[in-house]
Amino acid sequence: MQDKVILTDENIARVKDLLATLESGDEVGANEVIDELANIRELDIYKEMGKLTRELHDAITAFGMDEQINVLAENEIPDARQRLHHVIDMTDQAAHRTLTAVEESLPICEELESRSNTLHDDWKRFKKRDMDVNEFKALAKRLDVFFDVNTNDAGKLRESLTNVLMAQDFQDLTSQIIKKVIKLVEDVESNLVQIIKITGGTEDKATAKKPEDKLAGPVVPGVNDGVDVIEGQDDVDDLLSSLGF
Amino acid sequence: MKILIVDDFSTMRRIIKNLLRDLGFNNTSEADDGTTALPMLQGGGFDLLVTDWNMPGMQGIDLLKHVRAEESLVDLPVLMVTAEQKREQIVEAAQAGVNGYIVKPFTAQTLKEKLDKMFERIEG
Repeated sequence: MQDKVILTDENIARVKDLLATLESGDEVGANEVIDELANIRELDIYKEMGKLTRELHDAITAFGMDEQINVLAENEIPDARQRLHHVIDMTDQAAHRTLTAVEESLPICEELESRSNTLHDDWKRFKKRDMDVNEFKALAKRLDVFFDVNTNDAGKLRESLTNVLMAQDFQDLTSQIIKKVIKLVEDVESNLVQIIKITGGTEDKATAKKPEDKLAGPVVPGVNDGVDVIEGQDDVDDLLSSLGF
Repeated sequence: MKILIVDDFSTMRRIIKNLLRDLGFNNTSEADDGTTALPMLQGGGFDLLVTDWNMPGMQGIDLLKHVRAEESLVDLPVLMVTAEQKREQIVEAAQAGVNGYIVKPFTAQTLKEKLDKMFERIEG
């Protein structure tokens, strides 16, 4: 609180009045002047009390928000971190399950292809009557094996494809988790906005610099706008060829 | 041909490994960042390095710079496969001596084209 200036002509006049009334024995007059001086002080006290009341009110409001922020910082953000790690784990597992199924399927396809090709060659010879009885008997045996192996392999392929199918169940769960985290980010955002309002954040938006990662990472539509990003392989190729590649 | 695949995500290493096998490159090794990759490269025997950029430990760009600074590795073909696609980064990789640059997500066809082009240029 800045003290009110006491050294004014009015106050000097009042004190002179007081001295005059006292010297002249005018008790009523002296009391009036003293009351007048006391009133000036009291007015200041009322003003100061008003100011304190306002500050107290603001502090109580801010304190209520602190509670909310504490809950966010102590529980919800660590929870969110754990949830996001779980998302990484789930997507990782799904990718590996899919890759395993593909790695198991590809050799089956390759063998199927090569078996078919061999049999096809033999079959063409048979149709051209370019095959003796013994060779035909051998071919018939290989055909029997071919049918058995194919039925067996088709079962394995179906199993792998079912694994690929089931591995996609992460999408539903990770979406739900990520949506919750988005909600949390929104809560944090609105709290931060309130804090900025209360503290009367004065930093100019234009001068406030966004902390920038050296590495931008994957391009996200609508987020990387304004960053000097090359869109897609074709533009990368163009840039590289302009650099002499 | 022996190829070293460097990426911190094992899924991406598996994808690249499978794509390379499909293209007829069966001899591949894996490392999860530059710090583990560099001694493997220094050990010799590799004909191609396929590396990500953003990795914990040593990043792909620093691995590339180390490779180019090493006498035995100075001519090793390096293909960068990364999600980083800021203009300045692509320019930085080019200046550091990268031989090819593929942005994620990519297709099997892109990988084949870039490898063909790289070897064409190196042999030519």
